[in-house]
Amino acid sequence: MNTLITILFLVFAVFILVAAIMTVTVKNIVHAALWLISSFFGVGALYLLMEAEFLGVVQVLIYVGAVSILILFAIMLTRDLEGSQNRQLTPRWWIALIVPAALFGILIVPTVMTHAWQLPPLPAGQPPTISGAQQIGTAFIREYLLPFEVAAILLLVAMIGAIVVAFEEREQRRRVLTLAEQVRLRRQQQQQVATLPEPAVSTVQPSEATGSET
Amino acid sequence: MTTETETETTETQTTRGKVYVIDRGRPKLRAGQGLLTGLDVVFRHFRDALMRKLEKPSQQTGVFTVQYPEERLKLPEAFRNFPILLYDDETGHELCTSCFQCQRICPPQVIHMTQARDPATGKAVPAVAEFLIEYDACMSCGLCAEVCPFDAIKMDHEFELSTDVHGGLTINKVGLNRPISYYEKIAPTFWAEVKDGAMKKLQGNIKRRPDLIGVAPQMIDTIKAKRAEAATAQEPAPTARDSVPTDKADRLAAIRAKAAAKDAEAQPAPSDDSAPTDKAARLAAIRAANAARKAAAEGAPAPASDAPATHAAPAPDAPPAARSMPDDKAARLAAIRAANAARKAAAEGAPAPASDVPTAHAAPASDAPPAASSMPDDKAARLAAIRAANAAKKAAAQKQDGNDDK
Amino acid sequence: MTDILRSWIGSALPDWLIVLIAYLIVTTIVLFYAVGNFILMVWAERRVIARMQDRLGPNRVGPAGLLQPIADAVKMFTKEDIVPRSADRWVHLLAPVVSLAPVVMMLAVIPWGRGWEPIDLNVALLYVVAVSAVSGIGLMMAGWGSNNKFALLGAMRAVAQLVSYEIPAVTALLTVVVLAGGMSLLNLPYLQAGIPLMGATILCNDPVGCSPLLYTTLTSFPGSPNEPVQVLDLGLGWWVFTPVGLLGFVVFFIAALAEGERTPFDIPEADSEIVAGYMTEYSGMKFATFYIAQYILNFSLAALAATAFLGGWQGPGVAALANMGGPWVHVAAALSAFYLLAKIWILFFVMIWLRGAFPRLRVDQLMDFAWKLLLPLALVNIVSASLMVSITQWTSAQWSGLVNLDGFASWQRQLIAVIVTAIINISATYWILSINQRPKEEEWDEELVVAP
Repeated sequence: MNTLITILFLVFAVFILVAAIMTVTVKNIVHAALWLISSFFGVGALYLLMEAEFLGVVQVLIYVGAVSILILFAIMLTRDLEGSQNRQLTPRWWIALIVPAALFGILIVPTVMTHAWQLPPLPAGQPPTISGAQQIGTAFIREYLLPFEVAAILLLVAMIGAIVVAFEEREQRRRVLTLAEQVRLRRQQQQQVATLPEPAVSTVQPSEATGSET
Repeated sequence: MTTETETETTETQTTRGKVYVIDRGRPKLRAGQGLLTGLDVVFRHFRDALMRKLEKPSQQTGVFTVQYPEERLKLPEAFRNFPILLYDDETGHELCTSCFQCQRICPPQVIHMTQARDPATGKAVPAVAEFLIEYDACMSCGLCAEVCPFDAIKMDHEFELSTDVHGGLTINKVGLNRPISYYEKIAPTFWAEVKDGAMKKLQGNIKRRPDLIGVAPQMIDTIKAKRAEAATAQEPAPTARDSVPTDKADRLAAIRAKAAAKDAEAQPAPSDDSAPTDKAARLAAIRAANAARKAAAEGAPAPASDAPATHAAPAPDAPPAARSMPDDKAARLAAIRAANAARKAAAEGAPAPASDVPTAHAAPASDAPPAASSMPDDKAARLAAIRAANAAKKAAAQKQDGNDDK
Repeated sequence: MTDILRSWIGSALPDWLIVLIAYLIVTTIVLFYAVGNFILMVWAERRVIARMQDRLGPNRVGPAGLLQPIADAVKMFTKEDIVPRSADRWVHLLAPVVSLAPVVMMLAVIPWGRGWEPIDLNVALLYVVAVSAVSGIGLMMAGWGSNNKFALLGAMRAVAQLVSYEIPAVTALLTVVVLAGGMSLLNLPYLQAGIPLMGATILCNDPVGCSPLLYTTLTSFPGSPNEPVQVLDLGLGWWVFTPVGLLGFVVFFIAALAEGERTPFDIPEADSEIVAGYMTEYSGMKFATFYIAQYILNFSLAALAATAFLGGWQGPGVAALANMGGPWVHVAAALSAFYLLAKIWILFFVMIWLRGAFPRLRVDQLMDFAWKLLLPLALVNIVSASLMVSITQWTSAQWSGLVNLDGFASWQRQLIAVIVTAIINISATYWILSINQRPKEEEWDEELVVAP
């Protein structure tokens, strides 16, 4: 059984690495995003292999279901980003290489230094569930309460910001008029212009009025 | 079966037809009610469609599908698809007088016709020799039927005409002809409106038409058989009156006529595709016979005069192969000669009953080469006409002899 | 299945091979089950919608047109597989696969009958949600890979709709998680035993005289005493009969309609606007794959809704048959599978019914509906569900002494919970509906009034 798990692990690991390398080397940016998604999948599979079902499923839900769709949306809504004429390397590629390498080193070195490599064999019977929903939940509201709350507030701020942006736009937006309504409106405006000696503009467009004040 | 939907519907008879007023219930009141009402309506349709068919227009629900090949809607009388030609059930006479009105008015110009000519005089007669309608280009406007002064052309209800034969939708007279009873069946009130006028005009026309001109081609055999039977029935009357030799000759003619009629029945129906040229031979034979009979008719007893025509009929069956235009001419020429000869014979004096016998002999000659190719057919037709002419001459001579005897 | 195989083959094969074979067999059965249902659903949808429109529907191929889907399949197989020249060949090819695979994966965790569960996954609900989110990638790939503006528009709409409606759907499922105290789907039907509204709370007074036809022995019911109790069980304690479950079911079902792209939420493939959406450039078997994916998604969403709110395989007689033991257990399993299938088909009929009744929503109406109506309702419902669980199950220590319900019997607590949650849910629904109502007179209409 252990050899099977090792083989599976190797397969997944190779898959993740290949997908990650393809993500950064492939020229078409949508293909890069798709390779990224498959690498996410591989990570989810690794979690499942470790019997961390909750983590594996959440990985798929968050990264594949939400983040990557967001990425795809961003790519597709941005013009002239896809295509193979883009340069793969900037002149400062070496900086981009050093910084992630350093970050990865910071993460991996303490882990390697302090990790107990010789694990005692697991006690017989029911193996403990690793990273189950319950453990993660308790951890969030006990040990890691502060980071959890900070992240929550960050997300809340982002959400409120999005709503504020949307509302600002909405103030200027009007309901789409039907043709009959447009005709009526135009006739109404013509009548107003005809009857009033001064042009009455300010009531229609408040943004212009504020602009003229400043 | 009476659901609330039917009670909600009120039906009023007005001068312009029935008016159905459907009470659709109370207007929408609050949020969500519209959605529920919609669901309710759809469910009622679903339930009723499982149980019944939609039969009355006042019914709002039920299956309205007509499963076409098995079930058919009753077509309204005014339904019109493509034009047809009418002929009389009894006499087989076509109502068409080839006035060319329909050909002129036809917007896509798909109607073509040729006028029939009297073989004796060569003059046009109020009958149609050939009639063609290109159904594939017809736009079913019905103008031809409206314009026809003799109610000879009417719009048919038949619409399943699809075919894989190229040109299969160009229909000739045989294909267009329908008995009046057929039209009466599909549009009884329409026919009742025009019936009297149409029949009156038809009777007038029959008088002006030489015999068997303007008879529906597919009816010719039947009509002839009928006439032959009539001839056999009336045979004793002339036998008693006439002299022995003539009686013998008459009887011979009648027997031959019977045989020919049987023959004619056994023959397959004339094929349609060679119609225009086939027509020529048929016409020649008919004209020859007619001319001979005309000659005879001026004095001879009626029953015997039918015999040559009966014999001549099988002639058109023989040459089914298509031929070129000159054949037509030749046949017509032969016919005219025959007619002339007959007339000459008639002009010479009183009719002799025996005069028909040789003609009867002559006509079957055209039966002889059924297997022969196009050229011999032509020859045969010409031969027939010549023989008819000779016979007529001979008859005239005999008659002179008879006169001398008397 | 594994156990049966082990008993048959015994030690002839290594254990892992037996497990593998068992899984293969189960997978095959489930796939055939789903595909068989798909074929029937295509036929049923066409026939039923035809009757709703006063037509007959396909009735020529086979008896009552039953072979119509087969004829369609033959047509699909023999059609030419067209790939546009400027399309991204590989993405175009993979898109139908990526959209079908997750849908099929959803079938793995649903309990199809009593004891007929392919996989016991303790995060099954989350798994279903996660996997159904993946199919969005397939739609994106289809839309982008086709290199067609209609396809791209359709994919954008589909994914926007999928992402928006996932939130009310997940929030509605969260009620189930709160009520069940876990994310496993296997437990849900067992938890919905009992009688309507009261659930499995009416205990047997006389432990000897209780008929096994009416009473079932339940153990380890969440929150209930852990020693076995005999409860009145008609197999009808479905959550949809409680206020919390009803609201949750309505919200989830509507969101499931949107996720399955059923009318009135079929704007991703609105044929009057964008041809066929992301499927525009697909033909032959690739199109058929999308088609299958859509129907199986609807099938599994209906199964999920039935399992989560309508008691799954739970129904009258199942528990009684299972209590009789022996071969009757298998009869009970078959009956339970039939119950689930019947519920799925009723839900599917409702889907067709809605399709027959309602027109397609506009995109902004679609978004308004999800964010302004369904999501608030689902959030309120979570509060109600938490209250329900706490009223029925918490001891006074858990309440920190605020409320003491220890003296009440479980059916009394259930009744209190139902009343409280009913008040909350009804008032919240009324309030949310009223604030969502369109103002009586629109501003524009006032502005636009022209003096006569």
